[in-house]
Amino acid sequence: MAQERTPQPKIVQFEGLGPGFWPVTIFLFAVSVALALYWCFGNIDWLMPGWEHPLTDRTADIDDLVKFMSVFASAIMVFVTGYVVYFVIAFRARPGQSADTIGVPVHDSPKLEFWWTILPSALLAVLSAWSIVVWYKIYFGTSAPALTAEVVAHQFYFEVRYPGLKTGVATNSEPMHLPVGVPIRLLVTSADVIHQFWVPEIRLKTAGVPGLVQNLNFTADHTGTYDITCTEFCGAGHSVMQGKIVFDQVPAFNTWLNDKKKSEAAAAAPINLASGDKAAGQALFAQKCSACHNNPPTPFDQKLVGPGLLHITDDPAHPNLVTGKPPTPQNIAWILQNGFTGSIGTMPNRQANGLSDTDIANLVAYLTSLK
Amino acid sequence: MHTEHTEHEEIHADHGHIHPAPQGFIRKYVFSLDHKVIGFQYFFTGLFIMLIAGSFAELIRIQLTSPAGAIMSHTQYNEMFTMHGTAMVWMVLIPLVTGAIGNFVMPLQIGARDVAFPWLNMISFWIFPIAALTLFSSMLFGGPHAGWTEYPPVSLEDGTAGALWCLAIFIIGISSTMTGMNFMVTIQKMRAPGMTWTRMPLFCWATFATALMNMFATVALSVATGCLFLEHVFNVPWYDPTRGGSPVLFEHMFWFYSHPAVYIFIIPAFGVVSEILPVFSRKPVFGYKMIAFSSMAISLLAFTVWAHHMFPSGLAPWLQLPFMLLTYAIGVPTGIKIFSWIATLWGGRIYLTTPMLYAVGFLITFTFGGLTGVYLACVPFDLHEHGTYFVVGHFHYVVAGGAVMGFLGSIPFWYPKATGRLMNETLGKIGFWLFFIGLNGTFGPMHWLGLEGMPRRYASYEVFAKAFPDAVFWNRFESAFSFLMVASIALLIFNLLWSLKNGVVAGLNPWGARTLEWTISSPPPYYNFKNIPHVFDGPYDYSKPLPYENLDNEQPEFPEFGRVVMPIPLQTAGAGAH
Amino acid sequence: MASTTAGHLSGHAAVRARYNDVDPVYREVRELRLFGFVLFLLSDCILFGSLIFAYIYLRLSAPVWPPYLAGHQLQWFDTSFAAFNSVVLFGSGVTMHFALENWKHLHREKFFGWLIATIALGLAFLGGQAHEWAGVLRDGITWSNTTMGSSFYCLTGLHGLHVFIGTVFLAILGLQAKYGVYTGSKYQGLVAGTLYWHFVDVIWVFLFTLFYLW
Repeated sequence: MAQERTPQPKIVQFEGLGPGFWPVTIFLFAVSVALALYWCFGNIDWLMPGWEHPLTDRTADIDDLVKFMSVFASAIMVFVTGYVVYFVIAFRARPGQSADTIGVPVHDSPKLEFWWTILPSALLAVLSAWSIVVWYKIYFGTSAPALTAEVVAHQFYFEVRYPGLKTGVATNSEPMHLPVGVPIRLLVTSADVIHQFWVPEIRLKTAGVPGLVQNLNFTADHTGTYDITCTEFCGAGHSVMQGKIVFDQVPAFNTWLNDKKKSEAAAAAPINLASGDKAAGQALFAQKCSACHNNPPTPFDQKLVGPGLLHITDDPAHPNLVTGKPPTPQNIAWILQNGFTGSIGTMPNRQANGLSDTDIANLVAYLTSLK
Repeated sequence: MHTEHTEHEEIHADHGHIHPAPQGFIRKYVFSLDHKVIGFQYFFTGLFIMLIAGSFAELIRIQLTSPAGAIMSHTQYNEMFTMHGTAMVWMVLIPLVTGAIGNFVMPLQIGARDVAFPWLNMISFWIFPIAALTLFSSMLFGGPHAGWTEYPPVSLEDGTAGALWCLAIFIIGISSTMTGMNFMVTIQKMRAPGMTWTRMPLFCWATFATALMNMFATVALSVATGCLFLEHVFNVPWYDPTRGGSPVLFEHMFWFYSHPAVYIFIIPAFGVVSEILPVFSRKPVFGYKMIAFSSMAISLLAFTVWAHHMFPSGLAPWLQLPFMLLTYAIGVPTGIKIFSWIATLWGGRIYLTTPMLYAVGFLITFTFGGLTGVYLACVPFDLHEHGTYFVVGHFHYVVAGGAVMGFLGSIPFWYPKATGRLMNETLGKIGFWLFFIGLNGTFGPMHWLGLEGMPRRYASYEVFAKAFPDAVFWNRFESAFSFLMVASIALLIFNLLWSLKNGVVAGLNPWGARTLEWTISSPPPYYNFKNIPHVFDGPYDYSKPLPYENLDNEQPEFPEFGRVVMPIPLQTAGAGAH
Repeated sequence: MASTTAGHLSGHAAVRARYNDVDPVYREVRELRLFGFVLFLLSDCILFGSLIFAYIYLRLSAPVWPPYLAGHQLQWFDTSFAAFNSVVLFGSGVTMHFALENWKHLHREKFFGWLIATIALGLAFLGGQAHEWAGVLRDGITWSNTTMGSSFYCLTGLHGLHVFIGTVFLAILGLQAKYGVYTGSKYQGLVAGTLYWHFVDVIWVFLFTLFYLW
């Protein structure tokens, strides 16, 4: 391998670690410290909703962790960007240098590499420990919950079932309520595909997976109304799968829940159908039912969203109602009171449709008069 | 005469024989066994599909200029983001970074005449257009809708389109696995005499690490999509919870592949950056060994972190912990690389050519993407930001700001070797700035929108816009900046074509680089090396003589100034001509 | 450009020359292929590993196993016939081992004998699997009505496909050996075939344990 050696190439010359290295480093350090102070003490409410006034006990924990990560992430970003830009400028090839000038032929520096391995590892170790603490609080930090409610995700709404209430609250027709100041557990699942239940101010999101039940635990700190949104693609209506969640003080929440129980009981009670008015029923049908059922009523198979109701009482092809019961006035009234979910779709209940007892009696009178 | 095909299979890792040149148009350009031609084929096919998938992205951005959704129905929009993601992941990124650059450059860098199994290489390529056609044909049946992740049960609503999606992914998986095996054997067995592992160029280390993941992770995807296909077509219950199946099972198998997949995108880009930085800093890569070993460490760790994509999805809480900690851990080798690359810049003699701009820009945008990844690795934070635009911002920074930046930098860097001409520097630089600014403008604000609560895969965002009215402005801002990236790619295509005829003639080594591909003619002959060179040192140290013997062409020991296309007007038409 | 050393030969002579020491550089090709084949087998391990993971996951997350179908609980798979079939398959692994040993010691006729025995036993195993499947179907388990069925048919089916391809592979190797492609010292293809066959055996150990013994 004996070769004629041409003379060693020239190596770039500069003082110390580079022209202006220390001023630049001090500047970058100052910027990092300024950002760190901002993260720790500044008003960052513009960045995440409810930052300044955390909604739940977990919110504050997560936000503190975010602050910690941001302090170091912004420092790293400042230094990486700063040094990259600075080196590219400070060490640029200048026309005055001779043609074959090369850079400093350094291959490695064990000491430098040691520190830049150890320090990030130490940082990640601290981050790991802190994350584990917050993780533990999220999953195991809530003692016996004062309220456990079930959240069943559907395409495309959340159905919230409260203890003592037979029908769930469907978030596409009304807000769900929860009490403030007591530990809450939500059991989240799905009736069809994978969804995710998320209120940004609570921070925690939980997937509703069919066949699994997951826990979501938190204690809310103050009242307010917030958005619920689904964040796991669930089909054509994913983008409109939102709802509202209202946090009330405990007395107000109890009132709300008791009111719902009362109206559910009232809804279940048999209605006096004898005084139903056909004509009023017909007008009401046109007003409230024609969005989903053809008006004038058509045979069953001519569906709009729901089936045609012309032969609801006397269709040989469909001798029973969709509930499987015979088409008596009481059974028709039952569907109007309670709604129905089946293979065709979901018919909202009387609350969602805003039907009073009289309305129901009138509609039953109208429908049973159809031939 | 003996059969031709076995001739082409014979590869001689030493001073062996050169097989006869392929004859005829079909043999030379269509069913070619030459890794360089196959690299071109991957390049053009991948670029073509990138244009299609990119236009879907632009349709997405136009849709989001209005909170009610500007131009498409929800169903159409869902199809658009699904096809955009699926095509970009499997039909653009992986073929371009492994099939195009890996195929073209790696055998040249290790001093081989071709890959270990050229026939397999050719088949691996031809599977790719078949898979792409299968994927796009699904749009004739309504198209898949559930995102590039196509989780069951919702993806089962896609019917025939969903089954075709599964088939397309399954098919391209075969191509990836075969290419992975091919590259692993090539690098293991066919390096030039004297090229030990620690003398091998870092791009080849990266290709090896990528090939390892390609080979061993893709089969899990084949199982995941194969089972999904069976469920679509034959109603076989793997994922249906009413018959004992589990949707979370799909997530496990899917992500066991798809997490290594994202490292498959990025590690070749790491390799490209490791090649570009020393050349245009005129000094060795800092920390060669750590960069090489960290590529392998990332490649192995990549198999252990998949469930960080599933934190809110039904994992038992105790299971989340190891995945969180391992994902944090993977940040260490990645950080080491970034610091090493920055140290490569230090004390250099830096030429800001187009490839160098991309490499330097990469350092900034990839670091940002990597840091937001650390945020997402944290379970408490991920429970907040999973499924929001924060994630979309994160992965576009690492993919577009990482993998694509590396890929775009590799084009002007190796184009002279592939075609014999340099690309236009001015257009290249304008293209870089358009892309860099466009990238940051499009994907930067997404992090903030995600923090404020904007979910991803939303065709309209009226409720969010009510809660956060600035959303409308920022979405429009992002959409506007996305067109800068479109302009950049258009400029790139123009530059590719224009430079074929009008570029400065390149000669052997226009950049004055020291890896083996720069010792042969541009473009190289079909057999690459007439004499397989002998290697006796690593390639990056400009202060030492060129560490090769038995070269085809004489090379000056210390490549000179005049060989590099300067960003200032000292460039002459003859610069680089040898 | 230089032409191949074996360029003047044709047909079988050329094939033999290529694989013998006419050009010492050619031997590297076979080493490459064996190495590549081993990598392929490793990825095949992960293929089965993933599907086995899926089965174990579903089984562990099921509330009861065997699961219920149409109101009654399914029976465990019957072990006796499958155990006999397993012996057939492991027997074919033994015969394959002897085939390779005989080749190494240059006993060509014995090699072919053991190879044919291996192929025959492999096909017998497949016949046994068909019988087993018929039995499971008769019990009412299809691949679409329960995960016990889907996992069983898919895993044993994938394995059976591998056995079938293996018998074809071994047959091709036998023909190659007949036409002189392999010598006493250069027989990487036969090593590949043996490795593949043993791989198929090892996978069956896992599958038998997971479906019949667990």
